[in-house]
Amino acid sequence: MAIDIPTRTDQLPTSATRFIGKAVNRIEDPALVSGTVEFIDNLSLPGMLHCAILRSPHPHARITAIDASAALELPGVEAVLTGEDVERWCDPCFTAPEGWGNYCLAVGKVRFVGEPVVAVAASSRYIAEDALELIQVEYEVLDPVANPDEAMASGAPLVFENRGTNVIQSRTYTWGEVDRVFAEADRVVSRQFRWNRVGANPTETFGCICQWDLADNSLTCRGAYQTPRFMAIGRAASLRLPANKVKIISHAQGGGFGGKGGPRGTDIAALLSRKCDGRPVKYIEDRMEYLLAGGGQSWDRYYDAAIALKADGTVTGFKVRLVDDQGAGAEGYGTISAAKPLAAFTGNYRIEAAFYDLTLVATNRAPTYPYRGYGPPPHNLVLESLMDVAARELALDPAELRRRNYIGPEQFPYTVPSGNEYDSGNYAAVLDRVLELSDYKALRESQAKARAEGRLVGIAVVSTVEPGVFDWNAYATVGVPGVGVPEGVKVAVDVFGNITVAIGFNLQGQGQFTVAAQVVADYLGVEMNAVKVTTASTDVALPHFGQGGSRLGVAVTGAILGACDKLRQTFCRVVAHVMQTEPDQVELMNGRLQLKAAPAHGMTIAEVAGLMLSRSDLLPPGVEPCPEATFVWVSPNRNLPDDQGRCRSYLTAAAATHVVQVEIDRDTGQVKILGYYIVDDCGTRLNPANVEGQLQGGVAQGVGAALYEEYVYDPQCQPLVSTFVDYLMPTIHEVPMTVKDHIVTPSPIAPLGAKGCGEGAIHTTPAALLCAINDALAPLGLECRETPASPRRLWNLLHGQHGH
Amino acid sequence: MKPAPFEYHAPTSLADAVTLLARLENEGCDAKILAGGQSLMPMLAMRVARPDALVDLRQVPGLDHIRLQDGRIAIGAMASKRAAELSELVRERQPLFHAATRLVGHQQIRNRGSVGGSFAHADPASEYPAVALVLDMEMVATGPDGERVIPAAEFFVTYMTTALEPGEVLTEVRMPVLPPGTGWAIREITRRSGDLALAGVALTLRLKAGRCADARIAAFGIDATAVRLSEAEDALRGAVPTTESFARAGAVAAASLADPMSCIHASAEYRRHLVGTLLERALADAAARAH
Amino acid sequence: MSTRKTIRLTVNGKPYEREVEARLTLADFIRHELHLGGTHVGCEHGICGACTILIDGSSARACLTLAVQADGASITTIEGLRNRETGQLHPIQQAFVDAHGLQCGFCTPGFIMTTLELLGENPDPTDEEIKEALGGNLCRCTGYQSILDSVRLAASRINTATAA
Repeated sequence: MAIDIPTRTDQLPTSATRFIGKAVNRIEDPALVSGTVEFIDNLSLPGMLHCAILRSPHPHARITAIDASAALELPGVEAVLTGEDVERWCDPCFTAPEGWGNYCLAVGKVRFVGEPVVAVAASSRYIAEDALELIQVEYEVLDPVANPDEAMASGAPLVFENRGTNVIQSRTYTWGEVDRVFAEADRVVSRQFRWNRVGANPTETFGCICQWDLADNSLTCRGAYQTPRFMAIGRAASLRLPANKVKIISHAQGGGFGGKGGPRGTDIAALLSRKCDGRPVKYIEDRMEYLLAGGGQSWDRYYDAAIALKADGTVTGFKVRLVDDQGAGAEGYGTISAAKPLAAFTGNYRIEAAFYDLTLVATNRAPTYPYRGYGPPPHNLVLESLMDVAARELALDPAELRRRNYIGPEQFPYTVPSGNEYDSGNYAAVLDRVLELSDYKALRESQAKARAEGRLVGIAVVSTVEPGVFDWNAYATVGVPGVGVPEGVKVAVDVFGNITVAIGFNLQGQGQFTVAAQVVADYLGVEMNAVKVTTASTDVALPHFGQGGSRLGVAVTGAILGACDKLRQTFCRVVAHVMQTEPDQVELMNGRLQLKAAPAHGMTIAEVAGLMLSRSDLLPPGVEPCPEATFVWVSPNRNLPDDQGRCRSYLTAAAATHVVQVEIDRDTGQVKILGYYIVDDCGTRLNPANVEGQLQGGVAQGVGAALYEEYVYDPQCQPLVSTFVDYLMPTIHEVPMTVKDHIVTPSPIAPLGAKGCGEGAIHTTPAALLCAINDALAPLGLECRETPASPRRLWNLLHGQHGH
Repeated sequence: MKPAPFEYHAPTSLADAVTLLARLENEGCDAKILAGGQSLMPMLAMRVARPDALVDLRQVPGLDHIRLQDGRIAIGAMASKRAAELSELVRERQPLFHAATRLVGHQQIRNRGSVGGSFAHADPASEYPAVALVLDMEMVATGPDGERVIPAAEFFVTYMTTALEPGEVLTEVRMPVLPPGTGWAIREITRRSGDLALAGVALTLRLKAGRCADARIAAFGIDATAVRLSEAEDALRGAVPTTESFARAGAVAAASLADPMSCIHASAEYRRHLVGTLLERALADAAARAH
Repeated sequence: MSTRKTIRLTVNGKPYEREVEARLTLADFIRHELHLGGTHVGCEHGICGACTILIDGSSARACLTLAVQADGASITTIEGLRNRETGQLHPIQQAFVDAHGLQCGFCTPGFIMTTLELLGENPDPTDEEIKEALGGNLCRCTGYQSILDSVRLAASRINTATAA
């Protein structure tokens, strides 16, 4: 049957939506505020053991001997796992591109500080940690590769000897006549930028409980799993199991943001379980493990970039050379995050030609992992910073320069040079609204006054596009095959008319359970509290992906609409049969299946479901007694990329403009955010409170990346940040309370017109803050081109200026 | 991040605590005193500190007073920082100590963290040691040989090291009430609100006949202990309290620092500069309070 | 053996007596011995505030306290807030729900316990006072704005209820 996925809320079978579009309370929250949600560390299984991991103190060393005999003698210790076991039972994790993965425990040599070397299973975590102190590991220290320059030097030590090089990938993309537009430019603005490592740091670290069934040779893993199905496939590959013998049970997660590297901990706990006759083994990563090497490090980037302009400010070309320090291999898909900017390479602008030169390098830093936004935050910082430099050189207001270059509302759908198609937008309207909201003119006047007093006050107006609803095809050129990321749901109506939605993912914070309930309730005309959303384990779940790529709110909406439409069609057939008419004479409206011609005649959802489940004698031929439907949604109309990576990848293009005013204290280098204003357009806001939460949370992470957070390594590649004393996530004092408004340009192609909105703010905030800082520094002729713009860095800049 | 095993003792009198500490020392047992635990616990969890035994002072009576005693304010070592923060006596009669207390960590930390613990821990980035130098505080310790009083200038030896002997218990800290009309200030630079200071200054300032009669200044977060900034104090003596003289004092202070610490958040030169800036600003705060 | 000790304490009004290892943190004791899992652990070194509980009415980080130090204490955890009979949420909990003051919810019990102390001491706090009180609790999801709103909402509701 043909399935109809509404792209507008007025196409829903209801006279007025009661939940969609409203800031309804989240169904997740009563349990969360009560402390009763089962995060993985709350769960204990009978006979469960606890894992602790001994990690490498060296960035690069050969393991010459391991003696764990004393640890094994400690009462309470059940097993010790070393690289020897791992080499026998495991393969290195698969990577894109292939062949740059580590084993879960070091085999032969260690490649970064914090790499697991030996793991212990004991009766408590305390005893397991005691045992680690009894293990002797001898190392032959090797020269580390501390940064990309060292890595690419001839004769450099090799992180992966079998590769023969430290360059994981090097390629260029050319879109349009780049050489011509730069040759014909009236002005070229170029700069170098350094984005230092930051990362996700969800408040809950990774954790899991793994149990190996020795009889069945199968594995069950419960844990804080984002993308459970992906995790199951990965574990099957690394642990040499058939994929159907790995079952992932995803628990609620205390935040994710991409960087919750579960594969290593899972494989280690699984193998310990195998070694302990199948007893369940719990591994809870602690914060120091997380900070050292837990999957929370991302984006270690060196940029050299330029834009070409005409005299009137028209930007015609954009060139980016990126050298990306991936750390020790590609296990965390840091590689493909460098390709994400293809989805919106040229931002909000009509730039006709672009060029991207990517060099992904392995070093002895910890491997990099995804982090919210997956690449564009640094990329946008580069583009928007260049726009501001150009505006200064042209003596144009930065808002005006942007306006002159915006893609016009009439130009959508708009294909950017890097290939993606933006669905819709109205960037000038967003800009107009934020300039009004911030009283931009008054901000500039206050800046002029402050400057006259010698104060360093700066303002930025920064615009970005947020590619929403990711697809595999965006990453095909860096080694990820396929088109179409599935999200499957089952919607089931019980005999009383209650509804269960089974999905493949669990809570992580974004509120998708609530969105699912809102959509089902409005579609089927029930109250939200009649809807139960539940997570299926991977052995029974439909194909799904879960959280990731600013996608799930839209994807789960699409999946539910598809399943509901199938239910509607089945119900219409049943009711038509009972009422002795044709299915097309029956409609669903406000929770009733009724005759189109005589709406007073009909049945409620509950009555239809009850009938289906209890009166098979009344069912039409071919209809099963099953008031349930499944649907697996993929983005419509996606395609394979060409050799330059061009394709319709991300389905939606949300947009935002942030206006921020900052002041730098000349003597301390500290930055104070004086005002922060946001106007965004993510199409239909399915739950406006959820959207605002995504925006504000992204701002906070952007503030962290721009001003506070940094994984610092010394020149010998030793990490200097291993606690929250030094990894400085912003508190309530550091994050501005923002003033927000929005406009709505619904997506013409996405379910209910909603666009992905989980990443837009972190895409924008770092750029906005750095641009504002540089606006403040402009009278001094100084520029900060490195993040985070910490007090020390800014003071150093100012110090050079004043010659202290 | 779980502590290594240790023996736990909770003596119920000061005499018992002192006896116990002496016995443990004789047995070659590395014992540490547990007060509020707010600094010790992370070190235990990271196994940076691995004592054989902890001696918890929680049940020792008579260590949590905050009172006026012979014209000075006496605070029992086990009084919480929150109690000091809420004490009317401290707030009204020793506002510098009060302000310093409010800068320590967050309320959850101040609720549990003891006043004495911060002195005994002697973290050079913490506020109390600097305030102790400025106020000429006294630390009262009880050991096998009885009680002794250690002046602040002798108490802080080096990084996280004090003049307390292994068997001694810090029981009380004493400070003068601030003479009426004395200006005071404490300022610090932290990366985030509530973090340990990258640099800070604490001071008192007395004005007489429109001039600085006496300034007592200490800096924290810059060296292995808090340091008196005596050259800046000298530079201020007799100076008219103006923006210029305060800037000059700041410059003198910055130049007087021997070898400031360096870390990932602040270089030595940056710290040096911060001390000058903070002093200049703190002097202005203090002058506004002085009369 | 003095590495173990018997402690007696009250948690959410219920008395407990347990023999514990001296090194056991109060956070681990509450979570894994008493099976009160709402006190979450985010850093185990006293920075994130997720494990905030009340000890004798004052907020404390359960990870920076040993279980033995809580001998004789009266402890309140997030599980103690809800009405046991009716299941009704505490006004602070309800305000966090209504003002969307949480996303993943992992840090939320810590924020709520800190707010409980704040509003007990200062029923009508200013925004600055709220920020001062919550400065020791990290949230990675919300960006704090909705948390500030939640505390304001809780304060105004409690004050209205008290006035009535």
